[in-house]
Amino acid sequence: MNPNPTVLVAEDEPLMRERLLDMLAQSWPEACVVLVAENGNDAWDGFLEHEPDVAFLDIRMPGLSGLEVAERIGSMAQVVFVTAYDQYAVDAFDAGAVDYLLKPVQPDRLERALARLKAKLVQPPEDGAAMGELLRHLKTALPGMRQERTKWIKASVGRQVRVIDVDEVLFFQSDTRYTRIVLRDYEALVRTPLKDLLSTLDPDRFWQIHRATVVNVNAIAAAERLDAERMQVLVKGSAEKLAVSRTFVHLFRE
Amino acid sequence: MLGRIANWYRGWEDELVAVLAQPELTARMPKGRRRCHAQVLADMPPLQRAQLRAFLLKYSGARRYCALAGLALVFSFGGVLLHLASPGVGWLQAILTINLFGFLIAAALGSAWFDYRRLIQKRIKLMLAVVVFGAISAVASVALVALVNGQPVAIALTRMSHFMSGVTAGGLVIILPVLAISLWRNRQYEALNAQLQREAEQAKLARELSESQLRLLRAQIEPHFLFNTLGAVQQLAQQGAPRAAELTGNLIDFLRSSMRDMRSEQVSLAAEFGLVESYLKVMQVRLGERLRYSLQLPRALEQVQLPTMILLTLVENAIKHGIEPALRGGEVTVSAQAEEGTLRIRVQDGGVGMSTIAEPDGGGGTGLDNVRHRLRLAYGDQAGLHLLDGDPGLIADITIPHPATA
Repeated sequence: MNPNPTVLVAEDEPLMRERLLDMLAQSWPEACVVLVAENGNDAWDGFLEHEPDVAFLDIRMPGLSGLEVAERIGSMAQVVFVTAYDQYAVDAFDAGAVDYLLKPVQPDRLERALARLKAKLVQPPEDGAAMGELLRHLKTALPGMRQERTKWIKASVGRQVRVIDVDEVLFFQSDTRYTRIVLRDYEALVRTPLKDLLSTLDPDRFWQIHRATVVNVNAIAAAERLDAERMQVLVKGSAEKLAVSRTFVHLFRE
Repeated sequence: MLGRIANWYRGWEDELVAVLAQPELTARMPKGRRRCHAQVLADMPPLQRAQLRAFLLKYSGARRYCALAGLALVFSFGGVLLHLASPGVGWLQAILTINLFGFLIAAALGSAWFDYRRLIQKRIKLMLAVVVFGAISAVASVALVALVNGQPVAIALTRMSHFMSGVTAGGLVIILPVLAISLWRNRQYEALNAQLQREAEQAKLARELSESQLRLLRAQIEPHFLFNTLGAVQQLAQQGAPRAAELTGNLIDFLRSSMRDMRSEQVSLAAEFGLVESYLKVMQVRLGERLRYSLQLPRALEQVQLPTMILLTLVENAIKHGIEPALRGGEVTVSAQAEEGTLRIRVQDGGVGMSTIAEPDGGGGTGLDNVRHRLRLAYGDQAGLHLLDGDPGLIADITIPHPATA
């Protein structure tokens, strides 16, 4: 085990965030907090950048919910939910696939969660099936967890403002401060960062294949293996080849 | 034979009594005359059905036969009197005639007593039918008498005018009491119905009130609100920040004024704006720079009364569905304005806007149904709640009547 496990903390209320950070510093001094996120979009984007060992996720956050971030993380890290949902609503957690802390977090409860967490960190990672099951259940059981999906995106192309049907997009690519939207006949730039666009897209139709790339599943022509770890995607109606990062190679396993 | 008829009749009546209690039973009956009769009963208003059913149950079995026998006895006594008054009429003829007319009139009065709604609705038709029937039977009987006796038409005509006035008078003797009884019973029915409706309305109002009180209680102890606020207080206290005392003060203000709201139905705009401000202050400490707010209440409107909880529900919605899910937060503006006889209270959030408002919250529904309902209870159709796209965010407008500016 890494002697200094890396930790991600995602919580939208500043005081609750400070509180959790203070308590973590006290109870788990050897852990290294590599990212503090204020919303789900930043949490997921930061996760891809830092690949921490542990993620403390608030369930109700702007952008991606904690549940959606956990779903994307899968078995790549240990997840601990931090939630104000009452005991009744979080009974589902007791299946044990994932740990949770009730807000406001109290020291003894945090100690227990950390003990369990440390034990899990030395074991080889479990497969994500049990957690996937739990997350699907929680998404329907917890109130207010339905995500609105974008159907249209307004983008300027030259001097025009075009209204783009997301289904017609081949892929999205992050381009420093902008997001490039590539369609069959033209491409457009929008000021919204890719991490924020991502949270409004249907994850079954738009696959993230890289921190900077989201591709429409219907536009994928093929995926090619480059070496043991790297792949690239060929897109119908575009000459560009899109790199698949290591994190997302599993999407293309047969 | 007689026993079989009695049995058949009893079965039929049991069926009708059952239909009076549960009109939906007719749908399951086989098609035919019996179903038609049952349908007539089933179509009566509930109150009328209950009256008829009570009567049928009260006068059932031996009791009914006794009553009928009693009536027959009275009518027969009338027949004896008729015979004594005009000896030209035979004993039997007098008794039978009076019994026949007596039971006919009793039947007419009985139907007026129980089926008054239909009689009232069709009174013109009924009178017309009596007059036309009278005229036809007069002409027919006079023609028949003239034919049988071989009398000249002129005499027959004079007889006919006598006969006609006789029939009309007779018809009126029956129809007038029938109409009078129907009218009286109908008025009684309407009064009773209005009273029942008033009582139902009052019960509903009481239920509404306790529902909104419950909602308020739930809002106070809603885990997200209470625990996150207490968590914030705990963190501030641990840091030794003076804001801990301030936040606790605002929480106390909020809880105290919402308790006050729970005990009353109406509250002044000034008090309600105070409640909303303490709520927003608490939320601002929690959400930090993601929440900005402003409140604008003109002095002249401070004492205007408003049903409790309505404004707070809208502001809670603005926070929960507008500001909290928005990546970069937004501003909540609460304002009141009077114009041309109406008062408009507006809650605007610069958050995520229209598409998410349809999302149900934890308690089921966004509380907007509750707001609409309470407005309707307090002001009828004169008040309303309208949602507009604020771009960004959502605008919720309440309008209530405000006679001072009319």
